[in-house]
Amino acid sequence: MRLLFLALLRKPLRTFLTIFSIAVALFLYCFLESVLDAFSVGVNMANASRLVVQHKESLAFQIPISYRSSIEQCEGVNAVVPMVWFGGLYTPKDQTGETREEFFAQFACELDEYMSIVPEVVIRDPEQKKALLADQAGCVVGDKTAERLGIKVGDRVVLRSQIWSQPGSKPWEFNVRAIYTSDNQAFDRTMMLFHYKYFDEKREFGKGMIGIFVLGMKDPSRFHEIATAIDRRFENSPFETRTVTEKAFNMQFVAMMGNLQLLLRSIGSAIVLTMLLVAANTMMMSARDQTREMGILKSIGFTDGFVFRLLIGEALVIAGMGFLIGAGTAFAAFNLAEINPKPDFFPIFRMPPESLLGAAGIALVTGVLSGLVPAFVGMRMKATEALRSV
Amino acid sequence: MAEPTSEPIIQLRDTTKIYYKGGEEILTLDHVSLDIMEGDFVALMGPSGSGKTTLLNLIGGLDSPTGGQLVVCGQDLGELSPRELAQWRANHVSFIFQSFNLLPVLTAFQNVELPLTLLPLSRAERRQHVETALKIVGLAERMHHRPDELSGGQEQRVAIARALACDPKLLLADEPTGDLDAHSAQEVMNLLTSLNQEHGKTIIVVTHDPKVAGCARRQLHLEKGVLALDKRSTDRHPVAGPRA
Repeated sequence: MRLLFLALLRKPLRTFLTIFSIAVALFLYCFLESVLDAFSVGVNMANASRLVVQHKESLAFQIPISYRSSIEQCEGVNAVVPMVWFGGLYTPKDQTGETREEFFAQFACELDEYMSIVPEVVIRDPEQKKALLADQAGCVVGDKTAERLGIKVGDRVVLRSQIWSQPGSKPWEFNVRAIYTSDNQAFDRTMMLFHYKYFDEKREFGKGMIGIFVLGMKDPSRFHEIATAIDRRFENSPFETRTVTEKAFNMQFVAMMGNLQLLLRSIGSAIVLTMLLVAANTMMMSARDQTREMGILKSIGFTDGFVFRLLIGEALVIAGMGFLIGAGTAFAAFNLAEINPKPDFFPIFRMPPESLLGAAGIALVTGVLSGLVPAFVGMRMKATEALRSV
Repeated sequence: MAEPTSEPIIQLRDTTKIYYKGGEEILTLDHVSLDIMEGDFVALMGPSGSGKTTLLNLIGGLDSPTGGQLVVCGQDLGELSPRELAQWRANHVSFIFQSFNLLPVLTAFQNVELPLTLLPLSRAERRQHVETALKIVGLAERMHHRPDELSGGQEQRVAIARALACDPKLLLADEPTGDLDAHSAQEVMNLLTSLNQEHGKTIIVVTHDPKVAGCARRQLHLEKGVLALDKRSTDRHPVAGPRA
């Protein structure tokens, strides 16, 4: 082992650069996997006990809130919550007095009902929850957004919606009454939720229309039966519905990104592969430089097997250190320090644990492939030939 | 002062070595038969390409003969697998090369210790062996220096210490003074002579240098792979006494 580590220090700069290039490649791999995972975060946070009713044609079309009573009558449904996508921009002033535009997801909904069927939303302080439900202009903000934008309970948040307007083009004002968090790591903690009633009264158009209904089910295993029953109820009506599981609903957004994901994965993989090939080539060159030393070891009495293990061990140690630095940095940055490179775009940005296994696999394959050829050549080479090399 | 015994430590019988290069046969050793006694000091001489280094490598088990028999230290080397041959080398023979061949990443101490790691010795025993070997070659004070911090002569003395560390019966030196200045070369030859005379080591030196050959008791001249001359020296060059 000592000989192996001393061999790594033979040309410390080259060893460092090789380890560094593997580390960068594996960091990029982990980053890419985290980005791809962040795209599908909605799928991961979906709850099997919830269904979503939307317009049959597209999410862009609204459905009437009057459907609610009809849906509530369906057997197996225990709660129905209307929700509307608000699409507002928050424009706080920074320290220099300049305004900047910040985006995060906002929904109008019936808060009490929503929190009863979405237990992932947790308001720790009961007083906050009470104040939220009592104030029609109140809103609850996810702790991640609150932290990012410096929003706290008691603040007044002014939003300009890209969809909904008030008479006289007045901006929308909300009172922050509560901050929610979640015990579920996969749940979105960046949303803002406010009262549907307040929103519906104030909006200039579209009154009585909503985007989706979120349903709670008594028995999640009956989801297909319930969904079919609901959609059948509104067949041939002006607003036909499509009822799907929350997971399938969220999958629509992932599907929209389909080609982008493929593109990202292709470009990222090409970069990672190129960097790993460069690193592997350097490791092979390093092994070739040691040919004479292998001859010396053999002349002293070390076996061919020892030479093989030494050379492949060196490649594996370099790849392993690259893995520890690259994947370790990514894990520490995204999962421990919770660094999110685009918090307004990715509500949750975490490195999936399986990426660590993937990175370990890539490091192992790089180490074995780059070490195997020189190790095999070194093992087969006669000591006399090796000693003749310059 | 040790004299060669009547027991042969090396026996070659019709030993032949053929290399194949580009489909062509190159006969490097042509039916060489030879006995070398234990404790002898032999100089292998001859023009380039005459087979000196090939013969040395065969005796040291670094290469295998194409034909004939080769018995060294009582072992027919043709009967050993590559793995057994490596173990045999670790126990019976040591090499000294023209270009020293020390591992650059290791200190003098670590270089000398290297062959000892193949033997069943404790760390303390290894340390004792290394210190003794470095003391014999007069480099006890430089044991923590790396090869690039030593002169050529010192590097070769470390290489000799490495060769001595396992206390082998047989020392094989391939032009050990080839890369050294006259003074360092003389020092190295004094050392080898004392190892032969005082410690009874059997030494075979490949050399072009008549002065080096003059230190040996016996001179073997090879020409085109054939043993052309076998001369026992009556008038060995005087050398300085053994080192501390």
